[in-house]
Amino acid sequence: MTEIVNIQGLQKNFGKFQALRDVNFTVRAGEVVGFIGPNGSGKSTTIRILLGIIKRDAGHAEIFGKDVWKESLEIHKRISYVPGDVTLWGNLTGGEIIDLFLKLHGGGDKQKRDYLIKRFELDPKKKAKGYSKGNRQKVGLIAALSADSDLYIFDEPTSGLDPLMEAIFQEEVEKIKEAGKSILLSSHILSEVERLADKVVIIRQGEIVETGTLDELRHLTRSTITLQTEENVAEIAAMNGVFDFKQQDNQATFSVENQYLNDILAKASKLGVKKFESVPPTLEDLFMRHYEG
Amino acid sequence: MKEKFARWDTLFLLYLKRDWKKIMIWVLGLGLFSAAFVPAFEEIAKGQGLLAMYETLQNPAMIAMVGPTPIETAGDYTLGAMYAHEMLLFCGLFAMVISVLHVVSHTRKEEDLGLTELVRSFQIGRQANSLAAMMEILFINVILALFIGGVMVSFGADTISAEGSFLLGASIGIAGILGAGIALVMAQIMPASSGATGSALGIIGLLYIIRAGTDVSNVDLSMFNPLGWTYLTYPFTENNWFPLLFALIFIFILMVIAFSLEGGRDMGAGYLPEREGREHAKKSLLSVRGLFTRNNRGVIISWLIAFVIMGAAYGSIYGDMQTFLESNDMMKQMFTHSGISIEESFTGTIMMVMMALVSILPIAIVNKLFTEESRLHLSQLYASKVTRSQLYWTSVGLAIVAGLLGILLAAVGLGATAIGAMGDELTMDIVDFLAAGFNFLPAVLFFTSLAALALGWAPRIGKVVYIYLAYSFLLNYFGGILDLPDWLSKTAIQSWIPQMPIEEFDAAIFITITVISIALMIIGYLGYQRRDMVEGA
Repeated sequence: MTEIVNIQGLQKNFGKFQALRDVNFTVRAGEVVGFIGPNGSGKSTTIRILLGIIKRDAGHAEIFGKDVWKESLEIHKRISYVPGDVTLWGNLTGGEIIDLFLKLHGGGDKQKRDYLIKRFELDPKKKAKGYSKGNRQKVGLIAALSADSDLYIFDEPTSGLDPLMEAIFQEEVEKIKEAGKSILLSSHILSEVERLADKVVIIRQGEIVETGTLDELRHLTRSTITLQTEENVAEIAAMNGVFDFKQQDNQATFSVENQYLNDILAKASKLGVKKFESVPPTLEDLFMRHYEG
Repeated sequence: MKEKFARWDTLFLLYLKRDWKKIMIWVLGLGLFSAAFVPAFEEIAKGQGLLAMYETLQNPAMIAMVGPTPIETAGDYTLGAMYAHEMLLFCGLFAMVISVLHVVSHTRKEEDLGLTELVRSFQIGRQANSLAAMMEILFINVILALFIGGVMVSFGADTISAEGSFLLGASIGIAGILGAGIALVMAQIMPASSGATGSALGIIGLLYIIRAGTDVSNVDLSMFNPLGWTYLTYPFTENNWFPLLFALIFIFILMVIAFSLEGGRDMGAGYLPEREGREHAKKSLLSVRGLFTRNNRGVIISWLIAFVIMGAAYGSIYGDMQTFLESNDMMKQMFTHSGISIEESFTGTIMMVMMALVSILPIAIVNKLFTEESRLHLSQLYASKVTRSQLYWTSVGLAIVAGLLGILLAAVGLGATAIGAMGDELTMDIVDFLAAGFNFLPAVLFFTSLAALALGWAPRIGKVVYIYLAYSFLLNYFGGILDLPDWLSKTAIQSWIPQMPIEEFDAAIFITITVISIALMIIGYLGYQRRDMVEGA
């Protein structure tokens, strides 16, 4: 697979503040990459560098194999972008702004535009100053999704949207994913990332702390186990890799590092398993571990 | 009552606390503007000045602009009469406009922004906010009225009586409250805050135009005009307090209307439905040029109208210039040069002054690009195939075109009215006026290029260009009187340019300044292409 986005050793300072220390990740063709991290960790800064809005201080950043600063125009022909806070010209209507964005992008699919306007239930005749946050966001989304691009960059695209609209957004993104497009999705809504992303990149304080598929990341962390046995389950508590052990009668709940799972199972089978439930870590668990850690 | 207005006093005090800086600037700025020109008028009144000014202001065009005076013979025209005649209507209008903006910003604007929603969730009456905003306006305008009266009395000038001073102050204060009343009513009717501001200002503009007509044809009819009640008080002459009483009654009626309308509407909604806009963009919008033209349209059109009016206003005094300027030493020194006809030398000076004002528009257009940038309006454009060069040069290009139009309209406004006023007596024709105007093109370009330079390298100081413009303007305007050293006058760019038609056109200077300006624009471009876009982070 070819690399659509390739970032190596990216750094950016704002005055004395080091916004990005060392950012490395790639987005391959046809891949949806979830880009997550706490507020102020450098997600938007990274995206702005990718768009050539601000200039990096060090490192490499390429899209379609082209330098994001020097060849931004060539790149921009083939990408769509939705910022987390879509701000619009209050004196223009939503319909006018969508048309304008499509035109400046280089033409989009008019049918798809009309379809999306209907799907997102946007009133295109209203002046943008009358739009709520969610409606402004819809304008950005409709314009970006109607354009035919090879890479879509979404920076917290669904902020302000209601859950129904969020679901519609996810469906539409799945469609472009099926069409083989690449997507870089920065989001706080982890269920969204979990549903859409093939790969997750976690950034914290300007550094990438974790990269991998969800499965890979799950292996790095703990599952939550509920275990009921015939004999006393207390012996499990002392085993390697077991944490947060809680016991009630012969039933125990604990988390376990996945690498020790086999030992636990072997031990449990000797105690006579009556019930065994394993819940894989959610993205939220992963996320919290990195945020707090 | 409690349900409606509970805790308005809390909001009122909060407003005073929130706005105290604004109130200080408002009262001091407008107050001094209204009251502190007494010494300047004393200067004008010297010698035959009063007589000449009286004659000038009898011109119907002037009455249409500044209003009438009750004085019937030039001999009775006093300093006080002239002050009220020239200043009252305009100062009242200013007071109205500021009050309109303030009232809407504290009522409908806060609803649009969602602040009211939060406020209303507390133990606050539904209409407490409007009452608090009106009380604040009342408070400010009473202070303003007293301040104006006090300042005017303090000059101790002849014929500026205490009664007249405070009447003048009260007229301006009442004008402010009247404007606020109109705004509050419109804030209930219109679908959004911008519509409320626009329609309230529109009504005031309409009243102004109507009174221009009635003032010229029959002043008595102006007494039927609410705006008339603010300036037909004739301070220092008839000292007529009655119109203010009408105004107060009218304000009371407006309040009753506004509050009962407000009682019947939902928060955030007006009585008029919102006008539907276009579903799809017109072709003319679909480009960077189209977008920028559209975004600057309002500003460009209003400034261009202002330039025509400004030109026409100066042009209308050509007829009486001879009497006027010869009677006044200060004016004579400012506007005349030996051996040249008074009209020609006036044209030279006034053209320089007007072109300084014309320069505001291109600076504003160039600065607007940075405003758009910092408001994140351009985020999505950066990610499209739009280049930075397109953004920059479209803005600069639009600014230059607006500058050219500004020069054209100001010069034509001046020339056409002057020719209309003097006919064959005038030695200049319209081409001379145009030449005198476009002679200053390099100066306009220079200011544009400074703004462009700032946009490219230090966008946050773009506003400093206005300060340099104001500085050059003052230097040019008063340069003639103050007899400044040459090097100091040369710090204003216009001083390099010969004043046509008094002086000869200097092609070398014209080309040099133009080339320097273009170079600065290109340097600005290099910076714009290189720098980080300012985007929150």
